[in-house]
Amino acid sequence: MLKMQDISKIYRTDLIETYALRAFSLEVSAGEFVAVTGPSGSGKTTFLNVAGLLEDFEAGSYELDGTNVRALSDDARSRLRNQRIGFIFQSFNLIPDLNVEDNVDVPLRYRGLAAGDRRERIASALELVGLASRARHMPAQLSGGQQQRVAIARAIAGDPAFLLADEPTGNLDSLMARQVMDLLEQINEMGTTILLVTHDPELARRAQRNVHLIDGHVSDFSAYEPRAAASGGADAAGAALA
Amino acid sequence: MSVPVRPILSALLRNRTGAVLVAMQIAIALAVLVNALYIVVQRAEKMGRPTGIDVDNVMVIASAGFTERFQTVPSIQEDLAYLRALPGVVAASVTGSIPLSDGGSNNPLLTNPEAHAGENYNALEIDEQGLAALGVHLVAGRNFTHEEIQPPLTKLDASRFVPEIIVSRALAERLFPHQSPLGKRVYDPLRQSATIVGVVDPVMGCFPSSDHPDWVYFLPRYPYAFGGSLVYLVRTQPGQRAALMRVVEQHLAKSNPDRVIDWVRPLNYFRDLTYLGDRSMEIYLITVTALMIAVTCLGIFALATFNVSTRTKQIGTRRAVGARRRDIVQYFLVENGLVTGAGVIVGCALALATGYYLSLQYALPRLNLYFLVGGVLLLWATGQLAAWQPARRAAAVPPSVATRTV
Repeated sequence: MLKMQDISKIYRTDLIETYALRAFSLEVSAGEFVAVTGPSGSGKTTFLNVAGLLEDFEAGSYELDGTNVRALSDDARSRLRNQRIGFIFQSFNLIPDLNVEDNVDVPLRYRGLAAGDRRERIASALELVGLASRARHMPAQLSGGQQQRVAIARAIAGDPAFLLADEPTGNLDSLMARQVMDLLEQINEMGTTILLVTHDPELARRAQRNVHLIDGHVSDFSAYEPRAAASGGADAAGAALA
Repeated sequence: MSVPVRPILSALLRNRTGAVLVAMQIAIALAVLVNALYIVVQRAEKMGRPTGIDVDNVMVIASAGFTERFQTVPSIQEDLAYLRALPGVVAASVTGSIPLSDGGSNNPLLTNPEAHAGENYNALEIDEQGLAALGVHLVAGRNFTHEEIQPPLTKLDASRFVPEIIVSRALAERLFPHQSPLGKRVYDPLRQSATIVGVVDPVMGCFPSSDHPDWVYFLPRYPYAFGGSLVYLVRTQPGQRAALMRVVEQHLAKSNPDRVIDWVRPLNYFRDLTYLGDRSMEIYLITVTALMIAVTCLGIFALATFNVSTRTKQIGTRRAVGARRRDIVQYFLVENGLVTGAGVIVGCALALATGYYLSLQYALPRLNLYFLVGGVLLLWATGQLAAWQPARRAAAVPPSVATRTV
C-alpha cells in the first residue's frame, strides 16, 4: 500500500548538502498503525513530508496505492493528498479565521464535493471526535486538545486511506494527549492506515509497529504487542463516518 | 471546486480593518476616476469639435498704424495685394477679430423687424477672399463679390449695416428652422436689413468657449481699424506657412513706415490659447486620476502582500490538505475581488453623488452611466491585477510549510 525503496532526500545550500533521508526503505500495509520515532534531526519530519507528498525526493521510488508518485504533476500530487491522505500537525494548523465546521470543510471543498455531502461528512467527523456541539466555535475558543480533535476531524472527513500525524500530542498535556491517542487508535480500528511521527517512546508503544530513524535511515524495526487487527479497510472508516 | 466565497468573506470580516481601508480607498478612487474621466472626455470633445477652418495653414497678422498719415483702406489694399501675390498663398483677407480666439464681436440679428430684441450672434467682417482665407466651405448660395465689400465703419456712420450676409448653417437653422435661408432678410437692431446670400458649414466663429460657437455670420466689409489695428488672415499651401510667416513679417514691417507689424502667428496659437484651460484641466485630472489609481493599486498590492506573508502557514496547510496552486491564486483573487467589489459598490454611490453635486454646482452635464460601468470594470480589473503577483507568490508556498514548527 505504501512502499518506499531507497529514498534519498537532500537539503542543499550553497555550501553544504545534508542527507535528511538516505537509502530509506519502508513498506506499510493497509490498516497498519506505524510509529516513526527517532531523535531530533533524524529525518522523521522529512519522512512524513515525503510520505505525505509534501516534498519531492532526489532518488529512490515511492508507490502509494500502486501509484508511482515520482511521476506525478503538482496538481496530481495535490489531488492524491486530498483524496488519500489526512494530515494531523503538531500545532494543529487550524485556520484561525474559520470556525470549526469551516475548518473541517477546507479539504472537502478542494475535493469539489457537493454542499450536502460536505455537510454530512463534517457532521460525522465532528461527531466522531466529540465536537459536534462546537461546530460554530472559532479555534481560539477551544482548548488545545479540542483544536487537535478538530484537526483530526478535518483529516478524516475526506475518508482518507492514510493518516499522517506529526507529533500530534506534542503541544498537549498528558490527559489530552491520551484522548487524542485513543481517538487515533479508534480511527485505525476503523481501517485507516496511520503513520505517527513522534519522539515519545510511550506513544510509539501504542502503535502496532515502530520504525526507528537515525541520520535519515531506518536503524530498527520493532514490533510491539499488536492491538486488535483492523477489521476493514479505509472504506470501513468511511462507512462508519457516513 | 466551488468558489469558497462565504468562508473567505467570513475570514475577511474577522480581520476587516485593512480590508475596509482599502475598500474605502477604492471607493474614493472610483468616484474621482469616473467624474474626472467624464470631465476629461467632455473637454476632449469640446476641443475636438470641427472648426471648419484650415487651422494648420492659416496665419494671423496684426498690423497697427500709428501715424496721422496712416490710411486704413489703401493700407489694406496694398497689403492684401502683396499677400495674394505671394507664391504659396491660397487666399488672404482682412478681418476685425480673430477666429477661435474667444475674442470678437457679437451683434443681434432679427428675423422680424417688429421684434423687440434679437439674440446676439458672432459677426465677422471679411472681404471676398475671407471664406477662402479661413478654408470654410460654402454649402449653399454664393460668396461675396469684390464690389460688395463695404468700406470700414467710421465715427460718422458707426451703425451702418450691410446689404448681404453669409451665415453658418447652424445659425440659418436657428433663424429660419427647416427653411432655406437664401434670400431671407435679417435685421439689425436699427431695423436695417440684409439678405442672406450664402451658407457655410461647418464653421466655428470667434468664441469656441460659448454654448453655440457655430452661430456665426459674415459681413462683407473692411473692419474698422480701431487705433489703426488691423488683422489679416492668410491661408497658405500645406507646409508653407512657417516659411511664409517669416517672409511676410519682414516685408510688411518695411513696406509701410506708418505702421508696425505687432506679430505674425499661426492660427493654432489662438485656438490653443483658447483651450489652454481645458487642456490644463485635462492634464491635471488625468495625472491626479492616474496617481490615485496607482496609489489604490499599491494599497491593494500591500494588503494582498500582507495577507500572504501573514498566512504562509495557512497556505501551506491548505496546500497540504489538497489545494492546488490555482486554488491558492483563486483564494486570494476572490478575497481581493470581495474587497474591491465592496469598494466599487460604495464607490458607485459616491461617484453618483459627486457627479450630482458637480452638475449642480458647476452646471456640468449629469454623469453618464457608461462611465460608471467603465470605471467599475477598470478599477476592478486593475485591482485584480494588483493582487495577481501576491496571489502567485502565495501559490508558490510549498505544502511542506505546514509541517514546519517555526
